[in-house]
Amino acid sequence: MISRRTLLGSGAALGAASALAACSKNSSSSTSGGLDTLTIMAPVLTGQTPAADGKLQKAIEDFSGKKLAMTWVPNSDYGNKTNVILAGSELPELMVIQGKTPTFVRSAQAGAFWDLTGRLEQYPNLKPVDTTAAAVKNATINGKLFGVPRLRDPMRTGVILRKDWLAKLGLSMPKSTDDLYGIVKAFSERDPDGNGQKDTYGLIIPKWPGGYGTASPYDVFETWFGAPNAWGERSGKLVPGFDTPEYLQADQFLKKWVDEKLINPDFATLDSAKWNDPFFNGKGGVIVDVTSRGQVIGNLFKQQHPSNYMDYVAMTGNLTGPSGKLYAYPTIGYAGFISVSRQSIKTEAQLDQVLQFLDKMSSKEGQILENNGISGLNFTPDGTYSVAIKGGDADVVTNDTQSFAQIGTNTNGFMGYTAKPATPAEQAFYEDRLKFQAADFKSAVQNPANALVSDTYTAKGAQLDQIIADARLKYIAGQLSLDQYQAEIKRWHTEGGDQVISEMNDLYAKYK
Amino acid sequence: MRPPIPAITAPVTRRKLNHYGSAGSRVFDTLNVVLLIMLGLLTILPFIFVIAGSFAHDAEISQRGFFLWPEAATLETYRFVFSTPVFPRALAITIGVTVVGTLVQVLMTFLMAYPLSRRALPGRNMILNLVIFTMVFSGGMIPTFLVVRDLGLIDTYFALFLPLAINPFYLIIVKNFFQELPEELQESARIDGATEVGVFWRIILPLSKPILATFALFYAVGIWNDYMSPLLYINDSTKWTLQMFVRQVTISAEALGNLDPNYVPPAQSLKFAVIVVATLPILMFYPFLQKHFTKGMLIGSVKG
Amino acid sequence: MSTPTMDADDVSNAAKRKVSVLTKLNHYKWLYLMLIPGIAYFAVFKYAPMYGITIAFQDYLPFLGYSGSPWVGFKHFQALFSGPDFPRIMGNTLILAALHVLITFPAPIIVALLLNELRIEWVKRAVQSSIYIPHFLGWTIVASLTFLLFGLDPGPITKVASSLLGHQVDFLADPAWFRPLIILQSLWKGTGWGTIIYLAALTGVDPNLYEAARIDGASRWRQMWHITLPAIRSTVVVMAILLAGNLLDTGFEQIYLMTNSLNRSVADVFDTYVYIMGITQGAFSYSTAVGLFKAAIGIVLIFGANWLARKFGQSGLF
Repeated sequence: MISRRTLLGSGAALGAASALAACSKNSSSSTSGGLDTLTIMAPVLTGQTPAADGKLQKAIEDFSGKKLAMTWVPNSDYGNKTNVILAGSELPELMVIQGKTPTFVRSAQAGAFWDLTGRLEQYPNLKPVDTTAAAVKNATINGKLFGVPRLRDPMRTGVILRKDWLAKLGLSMPKSTDDLYGIVKAFSERDPDGNGQKDTYGLIIPKWPGGYGTASPYDVFETWFGAPNAWGERSGKLVPGFDTPEYLQADQFLKKWVDEKLINPDFATLDSAKWNDPFFNGKGGVIVDVTSRGQVIGNLFKQQHPSNYMDYVAMTGNLTGPSGKLYAYPTIGYAGFISVSRQSIKTEAQLDQVLQFLDKMSSKEGQILENNGISGLNFTPDGTYSVAIKGGDADVVTNDTQSFAQIGTNTNGFMGYTAKPATPAEQAFYEDRLKFQAADFKSAVQNPANALVSDTYTAKGAQLDQIIADARLKYIAGQLSLDQYQAEIKRWHTEGGDQVISEMNDLYAKYK
Repeated sequence: MRPPIPAITAPVTRRKLNHYGSAGSRVFDTLNVVLLIMLGLLTILPFIFVIAGSFAHDAEISQRGFFLWPEAATLETYRFVFSTPVFPRALAITIGVTVVGTLVQVLMTFLMAYPLSRRALPGRNMILNLVIFTMVFSGGMIPTFLVVRDLGLIDTYFALFLPLAINPFYLIIVKNFFQELPEELQESARIDGATEVGVFWRIILPLSKPILATFALFYAVGIWNDYMSPLLYINDSTKWTLQMFVRQVTISAEALGNLDPNYVPPAQSLKFAVIVVATLPILMFYPFLQKHFTKGMLIGSVKG
Repeated sequence: MSTPTMDADDVSNAAKRKVSVLTKLNHYKWLYLMLIPGIAYFAVFKYAPMYGITIAFQDYLPFLGYSGSPWVGFKHFQALFSGPDFPRIMGNTLILAALHVLITFPAPIIVALLLNELRIEWVKRAVQSSIYIPHFLGWTIVASLTFLLFGLDPGPITKVASSLLGHQVDFLADPAWFRPLIILQSLWKGTGWGTIIYLAALTGVDPNLYEAARIDGASRWRQMWHITLPAIRSTVVVMAILLAGNLLDTGFEQIYLMTNSLNRSVADVFDTYVYIMGITQGAFSYSTAVGLFKAAIGIVLIFGANWLARKFGQSGLF
């Protein structure tokens, strides 16, 4: 289905090339052959943007040999800004695109950006490797690549549990969905917090803003049961996940949990900003989400249990479904692209210069600059970790790395350091996570439709996905019978879904 | 002989007492006070919660739900907010832009409303129709952006208040207000030889203090809360206004979880602190203006 | 006139008329001068961008611009009207609009009147200073507070309501509670701010009038009826007409935050519908088309309401 990144998040994340407006008069000297300064537009996640004469920017400019004229745009409204920039006539040479939105796709197909298909392989540090190949494939649009993808963790699905509850009830970490069932049942019935009251439940699910196929806990369970990850090949044809029997089995399984009161009663309305609260407050004991949430939850316990807060959180990876085989739910592996504007970069020679810049920044030293900073100034390396140096300048550089990391691509794999976890307990937690993430990735179920863009889906996709997501929730909540649920799925087909299926299959045949 | 003063005042006082003494009236007054106090509480308590939350640890916010006083207060969040040079700078910029912008917007609105309040003015109705039309029809974000760009206003502070200089709603209300002012004053001034501008400046404006205060407030709040204009028209991040921060901190948290797996969303307390810092200055503007909302502005200006 | 030829009178009359137009313009020249900044503003920032409306008839892409984007005529309008959800969306929007007219619109007026009747100064000032605070809190905070108070698990209000009603109430999921919650939120957020304009109008009332009425023996109620209400009548009328123009605007953010899978059937309104359609289609053309549709209705309603007001002897917008 449509990439979840395009649905989650505020505003319509649109992307396309655009340049700084009147601001930089000394910007792209695109008329002359040489590009001494690159104009780049990128989102900033924090409130503080790097100063143009900051130490980190200087270091990056020295390393890459190019001056950078950065336009930092608040992430919360990156989409709106992109639209107006696109409509203007001065586009930045390089632009971060946050996702494959229809506007981006149409703009790219209309010639706004360079087609980089096949070009990444020509640069030593841009060339995809084993672990990144799937992500790069996911980033294509019907066979074409319209930017350098910004790689992210390919596998992030995890199950987070209250470690103290497991210990109290003498349970071990789950390996299968049936194990998890046993655990949530125990959490709900056997008083894991020992207060003599039956006031706990098992799984915590929040209100999910996205439609079908957006990495919700429901999607994860369905994949664990063997259903496709949004789209999958069955008997040589691409079918949507909800047309498979495994999909319904997973939903029936979850419905049983709701009926037996093993899930939070407000699973349809719980504010997702408060997802951690029931876990922390001892109401629920299981969360199925991204693994980074684990440490975030751990930190919540820090204030009240400063010496052993990690004893409250346990985490494991994907679970096997009833078939016994592991089907792991992956991420699409990338977070948008860095696209090159055809208006500002006019010749192949200039394109080569731009790609060389990205290539240089994707080397080990470049990645370290972008993601970690300046060794000795704001961090010291410690094995695969970086230990932060605090104080004045160092803090500024550390803060700047959060922004410059946005223009990193890492298609050759991530080579920077990771911030060293604060305590040995956290370090063990983190290294464990890396282990099961890597193992799970080998069993990842990719979504072949990630690389395909169908016109009908572009026109009606979100609406159609909403039908499935709403029906699924109503069924699990008990408001629809199984027959009614299947009738809703049929509605997806008749209201445009069938056309999507045929278009998808045509594209699949061509661009498999 | 002087008339007995007590005699004059006594009957009035007595009648006053009689009037307020009526039972129904007293019941109404009591209910009224109770109701309005409840309303006041209903509106201020949640804000107190936000303030309390900004001084609390995230753990407490997760556990306690709704509270008015943190059990374990911390200044950490505010220290963080003010530790960065950007935040105070954004605050200063926002205050400056709001003050200047409000002056400009109020001036332009009142200047345009006065002529339109004169029914005899030829072309008045046509202009009014054109104004009303813009209340429902608008070209949209992108064409407006292109106009601003073509005027060379990108990255200037002017872009933060000029494109919204006159709100057609406000214009109509101010115009209507002018229409209701008594004609005699203006007539007598004109007979005395004052020009239109003179009448406007010396007669109309002083009489419009409550309306001036009202729309100064509305426009000021409009500029203060506007995040669209800085987002679209300002590229230079050193010129950011407060709202850019507020949105970043309060909204982006959700979206970011997927873009960067290692991104830690801002603490709940940070969200609250940012809201408090971004809201308090403008909140204090209204009580400041309240003294202009006193009754009887027209007393003594109209004879008979 | 049946005289076939022009006589001296006609000539001088015509000349007089011509002169009188010019003298009129000259007579009002200062007023026109005062109008110049305002007219310049509307021309540049409101009318110059108006061509943007045309993208309702295109498949607009910012990159291709207005001249480069393909024309599709009424395709978007057709998609809007013929979509299977249109009647439901229209219904939801109209119902919410009606609720706003009946509840959210009069509320600030009533509160302003109540405040006006308050004799205890410190209470009045205190209440006035606090009721407008919610206006400053964005909808995300309002939604968070709503989830906190009306949520299923620890929601204090839910607990109270459930015990009063005898069964578990799920405010956030139950479609029946969606509209009441939305109105409640709007009331909370907007009433205080709305009183400002009415209170400003009330400052124009001469207190001596009340004094005189009291001496004449008028009751509180009659004072209000004959003095207070007429003072704000024109403001109320203008605000009502202006509301008519934006009747179908329900506000995107507020509704979007409160919508979920279980209450979507009553929650979907134009603004959220456009958002969902916009994500996939690229916002612009489709949302402009919907905006145009709403604006067309708005213009009719504004002039209609204005005409109605004039029939009742009010000056309306003019």
